[in-house]
Amino acid sequence: MQPALLDKVRGIVGSEYVLTGVELSPYVLEGRTPEAAVFPGSVEEVSHVLALASEAGVAVTPWGGGTKISIGAPPTRLGIVLGLRRLNRLLEHEPGDLTATAQGGITLEALQAALGARGQWFSLDPAFGREATLGGILAANASGPRRHLYGTARDLLIGVAVVSADGAVVRGGGKVVKNVAGYDLPKLYIGSFGTLGVIVEATVKLRPLPDDDRLVLAGFERLKDCGQAVRLVLTSDLIPSAVDLLDGEALRGLGLAAGAGVGGALLLGFDGMREQVKWQCEEAKRVVSEAGPVEHRVLEAYAREETWRLVREVGRRAFADPAAVLQLAVLPTQVTEVVEQAGVVAQRNGLKAAFAAHAAVGVVTAVLADGGDSAQPVIATLREWRELVRAAGGHAVLERAPLAVKEQVAVWEPPGAAFRIMERIKAQLDPKGVLNPGRFVGGI
Amino acid sequence: MATLTESRKNTLRRAIQAIVGKSAVVSDPEELLVYESDGLTLFRALADFVVFPTSTEQVAALVRLANQEGLPFVARGAGTGLSGGCLPAEGGLVISLSRMTRIVEVDYDNQLAVVEPGLVNLHLSWAVGPRGYYYAPDPSSQQACTIGGNIANNSGGPHTLKYGVTTNHVLGLEVVLPDGEVVWLGGKMRDPQGYDLVGIFVGSEGTFGIATKIVVRLLRKPQAVKTILAVFDEIEKASEAVSAIIGRGLVPAALEMIDQVTIQAVEDAFGCGYPRDAAAALLIELDGLAAGIDAQAERVGAACVEAGAREVRTAKDEAERQLLWKGRKSAFGAYGRVSPAYLVMDGVIPRTKLPYVLRRVNEIVAAANLRVGNVFHAGDGNLHPNILYDPRRPGEEERVVQAGAEILKVCAEVGGSISGEHGIGLEKMDYMPFIFSPADLATMHRVKEAFNPRGLCNPGKIFPTKKSCVEVGPAYRAHPIEEQGLAQRF
Ligand SMILES: Cc1cc2nc3c(=O)[nH]c(=O)nc-3n(C[C@H](O)[C@H](O)[C@H](O)COP(=O)(O)OP(=O)(O)OC[C@H]3O[C@@H](n4cnc5c(N)ncnc54)[C@H](O)[C@@H]3O)c2cc1C
Repeated sequence: MQPALLDKVRGIVGSEYVLTGVELSPYVLEGRTPEAAVFPGSVEEVSHVLALASEAGVAVTPWGGGTKISIGAPPTRLGIVLGLRRLNRLLEHEPGDLTATAQGGITLEALQAALGARGQWFSLDPAFGREATLGGILAANASGPRRHLYGTARDLLIGVAVVSADGAVVRGGGKVVKNVAGYDLPKLYIGSFGTLGVIVEATVKLRPLPDDDRLVLAGFERLKDCGQAVRLVLTSDLIPSAVDLLDGEALRGLGLAAGAGVGGALLLGFDGMREQVKWQCEEAKRVVSEAGPVEHRVLEAYAREETWRLVREVGRRAFADPAAVLQLAVLPTQVTEVVEQAGVVAQRNGLKAAFAAHAAVGVVTAVLADGGDSAQPVIATLREWRELVRAAGGHAVLERAPLAVKEQVAVWEPPGAAFRIMERIKAQLDPKGVLNPGRFVGGI
Repeated sequence: MATLTESRKNTLRRAIQAIVGKSAVVSDPEELLVYESDGLTLFRALADFVVFPTSTEQVAALVRLANQEGLPFVARGAGTGLSGGCLPAEGGLVISLSRMTRIVEVDYDNQLAVVEPGLVNLHLSWAVGPRGYYYAPDPSSQQACTIGGNIANNSGGPHTLKYGVTTNHVLGLEVVLPDGEVVWLGGKMRDPQGYDLVGIFVGSEGTFGIATKIVVRLLRKPQAVKTILAVFDEIEKASEAVSAIIGRGLVPAALEMIDQVTIQAVEDAFGCGYPRDAAAALLIELDGLAAGIDAQAERVGAACVEAGAREVRTAKDEAERQLLWKGRKSAFGAYGRVSPAYLVMDGVIPRTKLPYVLRRVNEIVAAANLRVGNVFHAGDGNLHPNILYDPRRPGEEERVVQAGAEILKVCAEVGGSISGEHGIGLEKMDYMPFIFSPADLATMHRVKEAFNPRGLCNPGKIFPTKKSCVEVGPAYRAHPIEEQGLAQRF
């Protein structure tokens, strides 16, 4: 990067908000160090920085809390890391509208605290809410257990402001909960991993805070029984907000297992009015009893919150030093079988593996423990897992792995026939390939 | 458009017949007239051919033919759209999906179904109902409109307040792209990789290709339902009650408002038990667990009383519930008795702006010397002012259109939108700048370029164009399904 360009960037955001040299160590990505990390303090500043970068052809990597920055292929170019953490304000919250507009760099925790003070919440519960930013959560399409009832970002985001690759401020959607005027642009930016624009503002739907909130944990000897319990729950009158399934290894890793004989557990979330939560907890006990649980607990307050936090963070916590995390999607009815087979594969390769699933939507986090010096068993296992998922008609993304592994195991699935549309969208919205080059699906 | 020469038309007809067979092509001018409009009869445009494929392969072959010949083409479902979306604005082919109505697969264990686009919305719920499931998006036209049309317009309905609109219920689409290639966007699994092409396709009003298979989510029917009527002497109080309900942390399944003009028309026509002298009524439905539903109903009632309701009553049984819904749903038929025609608007506003905007709507309509009936999805802030008029009176239709534009401008000014469910189509292209900047529109246009670079797929919609040969004029006719009393216009 030209020193003159760096000076211009300093002129825009102020030198104290431009990091270079050794200060860049937190922003090293897949072994590469960016040329600068820049922290604009306003949408205008973001816009100016992008306009400059795009004119100079310098790559820009948007960076929220960094909690999901490991997702993606190694960047083909790394120029400016664009940190959004100073864009951290809640701009509008009208409780009667059940909507809020906030800047992209606000952390989930800060957002929830402000909303909670007025009796509402943003019903998305991905991991690491303390660091994860709203913009980053949307860009990574991050979600958590409560997606079961409340959906994912695509169900909650109603409006977005992004700064496009050339620095233009573009708005999509709006501030109202129903809106079909023009194309649904917010959908495009969800899960786009910063390759189409920098999310600087988002308007989201909210929900009232529930009066009560509990977690029912039912432990089973075998994973299969958990699967049966899931089916029983889904065909009952219960309306859980979360239906998570953990295998024995995950339970032990997270310190949630009561006995060694527990091969898996079903974790159900129930929130709403007190009377309803109470009924649901009792009914849940009755419903899952048919699957023969060996353990049954109802968690409230801090214990409940802590348990969900651990479950969400399973990718970092199942093992002291996890070697890789694969997130995969299959049909809900395939979850237990795929998990069982994947466990066998890991074992055959001499590795420990832990699994946590949002069972009723078929999204599984598979964590692989470190196998020692050689990356080979990890690579072999991940490849076999991929095959397994593909055979089931599903897909998987390598969420985290060392560079040596990423060089051998693709991060994304090979793109399908619709990929040419994605490429064209990218070419239309970022013709110079400035935004996060090379990290996304198919090398976008 | 009728600019094709006879000989070219004959050649094209033969080519089309080779794809779909003789009985699946209409090109006789008389018969084409049936397809010149949708539910919004203000606009008319004639196709050169209306074609009825029965398979994805046929749709793809038709689209490839259209590309070869440089002919515009547009998909048509049931033609119940209310913004002129399925009109052949530049002539060419209308590809009707009305013969692709199969339910390809129902997977109860995974709570999903794969359907063809011509399937009528309600037919899916009928098919899965006996097993305790349903398809949640419930436009009032659901007895006639197709799931393909719902996809294109991202349609909503009374119960979208709690359950979301079409896009929240679609997992995957098989699509014939505008150049004729068949691809899958999304599928049965969640979180497909890459850009959310399903998300951007839904609501693209038929400009990104033709959906030929649709994977939708099915929901389990709720254990309990409770329907409440709250009656108000002032419309402002009813509006405030809407905010009060939401503000108390209650999320009803439906929260609909009906104003006096509408109540009186409904009572004259059908006698559904709404008090004729009320300024407005709220129809509120709660559903979900049986546990706690009474307490919730009490909270709703309390919120209404606090906002000034003079009466709050809960339907005692299913019969009374049906009667209340009939009042809400038969409003159109009822308007027909008090006015020869009406134009339905579809603005959206933040819920808390309801009192102000309703006042403005009434002022605007009064200033134009017209009458309006309001019956709408209050819980979502989705207004449907129905401007009543007589198309035979010279100049009246222009005043209606003008008043409609002003109403949408007010919606835009308070931070709302110009369409909550009916789409932009031909009707509201010129109003897009009310809510979108040139940069916003340019971005949408770029996305369109990515899908539909030749512009042959449903041209002349959403963005203003010059090429269109659409006729605009006074010709209100009730949509056939309305005449049959099967649906109403909101
Ligand atoms: C009485 C009445 C009540 C109504 N109530 C509601 C309501 O409550 N909520 C609501 O949201 N709408 C409502 N509408 C509007 C209308 O019913 C919806 O927009 C509906 O989704 C249109 O479906 P259709 O099959 O009639 O589509 P059409 O009108 O035939 O077409 C609509 C659009 O969809 C496109 N299209 C159709 N099929 C496909 C396909 N397979 N692939 C791609 N594009 C396709 C067309 O090109 C066009 O742009 C109502 C209309 C009427 C007449």
